Amino acid sequence: MGPDIAPGPAVPWRKVLWERQPFPDNYVDERFLEELRRNEGIRQYRYWAVVKEAVLVGQQLSCVAIFITLWLYMEQGLLSPEALLWTSLIVGLLGYGLHNALRPQLGSDRKPRTHLADLQSAAIFLSFTFGFSPVLKTLTESVSTDTVYAMSALMLLAHLVSFPYAHPSPTGSLSLNAALFASVCLASRLPGALHTFAMLSCALLMFALWPCLLQSIRDHAPGPSAWLCVGVCLGGVGGLGSRWPGGAVLLALALVSVILLCPLLLVKLQRHKDNIQGPWDEAEIHEDLCKVPY
Amino acid sequence: MVLKVFFPQCCNRADSGLLVGRWLPGRDTAVVLAVIHYPFIPSTVKQYLQQIQGQSQVPVEVLGSWSMPSEKQEGLDSFLRDLSTIFPQTRWLQVSREMGQTGFSCQLLQLPPEKEEEEEDRVIFVHYDQRKVMLSQLHPLESPALPGCEEPSELRQMFWTVAHSEPLFLKDKYDEGPLKLSHWQSEGREASILVELMKLASTPLCLLLAWLLAAWSWVTSTRLLNLSPLRFLSSKLSSCVQLSYRTAHMKTVTSPHTATSHTHFMRKANVLVSLLLDVSLGLLFISWLYREERLARLASALLPAADRVSRELEDLLQWLMGAPAGLKMNRALDQVLGRFFLYHIHLWISYLRLLAPFLEVILWYGGLSAALGLTFALSLLSDMLALLTFHIYCFYVYGARLYCMKLYGLCSLWRLFRGRKWNVLRQRVDSCCYDLDQLFIGTLLFTILLFLLPTTALYYLVFTMLRLMVVALQGVLHLSVDLINSFPLFALSLRVFTPYRLAEGVKFRVLSDEPGTALHLLMEMNALGLGEVVQTYRTPTYSCYPPDSWGALLRKLFVGELVYPWKHKTTKTD
Amino acid sequence: MDNEKYTDINGKAIALNYQRHSSFCTEFTVSSPKVSIGKVMVATCFVWIFAYAVFFFTDNTAVLSSAIIITLIGMMLYIHFVKIDHESLLVIGSLGIQLSSSYASGREHTSFIEMSKIKDIVINEAIYMHQIIYYLCILLRDPADTSAVSSVVPLFQSSKPRLNCLVKVYKSCQEIISKC
Repeated sequence: MGPDIAPGPAVPWRKVLWERQPFPDNYVDERFLEELRRNEGIRQYRYWAVVKEAVLVGQQLSCVAIFITLWLYMEQGLLSPEALLWTSLIVGLLGYGLHNALRPQLGSDRKPRTHLADLQSAAIFLSFTFGFSPVLKTLTESVSTDTVYAMSALMLLAHLVSFPYAHPSPTGSLSLNAALFASVCLASRLPGALHTFAMLSCALLMFALWPCLLQSIRDHAPGPSAWLCVGVCLGGVGGLGSRWPGGAVLLALALVSVILLCPLLLVKLQRHKDNIQGPWDEAEIHEDLCKVPY
Repeated sequence: MVLKVFFPQCCNRADSGLLVGRWLPGRDTAVVLAVIHYPFIPSTVKQYLQQIQGQSQVPVEVLGSWSMPSEKQEGLDSFLRDLSTIFPQTRWLQVSREMGQTGFSCQLLQLPPEKEEEEEDRVIFVHYDQRKVMLSQLHPLESPALPGCEEPSELRQMFWTVAHSEPLFLKDKYDEGPLKLSHWQSEGREASILVELMKLASTPLCLLLAWLLAAWSWVTSTRLLNLSPLRFLSSKLSSCVQLSYRTAHMKTVTSPHTATSHTHFMRKANVLVSLLLDVSLGLLFISWLYREERLARLASALLPAADRVSRELEDLLQWLMGAPAGLKMNRALDQVLGRFFLYHIHLWISYLRLLAPFLEVILWYGGLSAALGLTFALSLLSDMLALLTFHIYCFYVYGARLYCMKLYGLCSLWRLFRGRKWNVLRQRVDSCCYDLDQLFIGTLLFTILLFLLPTTALYYLVFTMLRLMVVALQGVLHLSVDLINSFPLFALSLRVFTPYRLAEGVKFRVLSDEPGTALHLLMEMNALGLGEVVQTYRTPTYSCYPPDSWGALLRKLFVGELVYPWKHKTTKTD
Repeated sequence: MDNEKYTDINGKAIALNYQRHSSFCTEFTVSSPKVSIGKVMVATCFVWIFAYAVFFFTDNTAVLSSAIIITLIGMMLYIHFVKIDHESLLVIGSLGIQLSSSYASGREHTSFIEMSKIKDIVINEAIYMHQIIYYLCILLRDPADTSAVSSVVPLFQSSKPRLNCLVKVYKSCQEIISKC
């Protein structure tokens, strides 16, 4: 169904509809699509660069796996809460030192937090967690275990989905809250109040403070940070493997697919990208910000 | 142009004479009020009409002539025509009846252009019952505040004219005088002597009552009784509220000014009748209550009943402290709440034990209040019910407050959970960057509140049910008190026995449709519907304000706001 | 007066009757069909069979007597409050329009609208269930603003005649209103 061929009048054809022209309605000439542009501003990805970014996703996945491993150890009584607390304390202090060492190199556009403020925050965390841990202990005792597991799984999934992988430093509040909720649920299943306290401080370390440290390491030294992430991944797989081999295999598969396969797929499929732009106005949906449902 | 003549039915068979009435301003409508018979002296007629006009504010004038065929006067036509020169009017109606015909014929003489227009077909005679129109009140009532804003409709003007020309109808048919009139006559005045006597007696009575009421309101307005705790208490006790309403009603009735407007009169009459009804019902109630030891039996039955309620409540609490209906609640919180409420019941029972010896005396004196009216007895009963179920109210308030706080906290923490916050300035939810410690503590509290919510909600639910039962009982009592207070019994009986007094409008019936004669219509009153009567004339009380809808009530219950059986004064003004 | 057949919107036959009392006074009466005996019988039989079935299982004679009472009261309520026998419209030039509807029991409901309140009479369209129907209505004048319409009074609400009948009534009404 081609356009009707008009007997070529002297008037040049114009691409307007508001003017009556001596052409049939469906007539177009060869200049019709000359303003069309394809794939504007496209970035060609390189495979290893993409993999380097994807390692971040993998390490967050392994973080969750490590947390679950620790919980499994605690629940089965293989790890004493004191040991976990001491380890957390040491790791936290080391991390804090590293963080402080890396901080001065960062741009000083923001006022840095004082040590006193850090100490205050730490005191609040510890005192609240310690004060509430007996309450938390009794909180879910009448709720069935399956419900607690399902809730925790859902919340950890929400944490993974809403985690800001591009900039992990100010942790997104939804992801952090979901992770904390899940850890409270899991911690309340543990046998004693001290267990709960240890588990919660561990969760704080892992979900709130570790992303900050990772961010500053990445800013300072991008190369070693990727290897650090790989180390975390290996640690996650290894840790889970010691208690639950099937889970470790699953985690390893997931990590391989996230870190290696998905970037490969992205790079391969980029050839088929066909994005057209032109002088026309695209319809855009402006959501009225005043009417955002809460 | 169609000429409309409102003609009174009582003048249908009147002897020939002059038509007296009024042309409605700006319309081709004549309202005939009476017929002045022959013989008369024109100057006397003019004088008489001026006198009537002065008394009634109605511009009564001579409209034309009326001739009845029974007389054998041959030269009547010319005579009638000559009359129009004696009474100079711009329009002169000539209405006549002929033998053997039911209809009237009518001629209109336009005087300034000395041209006689004969329009046999374009005249409408509307026959009306003068007495009914005079006594009836057309609804919807017009507001007297804005009389000049809009011209009243034709029918309203006609009703006004007839109602205000009462002085014209006072002239009796047997009165000796220079003029003989034909119009509606009252059938007799035998009973009116009694009415006059009552009117005379009512004035000093009203003055005395008004003086007593003034003294009473002075007592209530003294500073001692207006101290804040007493004031608060009296606004919550329904018997005090009823007392203030009754005082206001009595003030309305005994005000020494006579009622000027229809609304005012009806208000007074309604209040008086409902007052009488209330007092007589109250006396009946007293005569029932103080016989056959009923009071003592009631008093002795009351305490065991209250005891029983407390015991049932204890059982309920014990059940709630276990695992009620298989629900798994937080054990620690459950125990704490249950013990707290049990202690309350214990307190309550000891209070009742303390009260027991005085109960019969209290009931005896309380029953006497029915002499002031049944409404007082009912209000007192409602108050006593409120006092006896005070523990349920307390439980409800504790439960509701706890639940409300929890819900409120959960709401704001859920916003924190999602990284949002409520912006007070813009009245919307904004995203917000929280600190780590804020997020941590918020999530901790959120988890705790979320897991404790079912326990609180269950306690709240159970106590709300109990409270709702009491509220429903009190609501029934309040409704019945309000019904007696505001029911327009006088207006309703007026509507039932003399339907024409309260007219919604009029209806017409075609009387004759002989071709060639004028159209004859019969105007009848259309009585106001009973529902409308109640709506228009009910005495305004607190329940006349629109009540909460069921949806609003459910919302309040869900959110945990307190519900009461009555509306607050503060919410009423909103 | 004329032999044209009129139906209501459901296709049932109705009768339009008009009386010219004078050149400016006409009365239109639309009568709907009477209560059909068959329908009454069916309803009664249905209630009674149901009552008898209940009686069969419960052996309680109160069911039967209450069925009789329910049937009687229901029928009385129906003819007194629901079933409208005929509706009439009395147009009196320069005085007003009177609408009256008489129920099957003889109860009559009348209302009169003065000419000064009436702005016009029009035929309007409305969506009724799944169809579009025409109806005749009186437009009332807004007392504050004479060119505005304050409310609408629909006519022949129960009998709902079709357009041909409405046009007939409309023409006569307009003739009278325009004359006065």
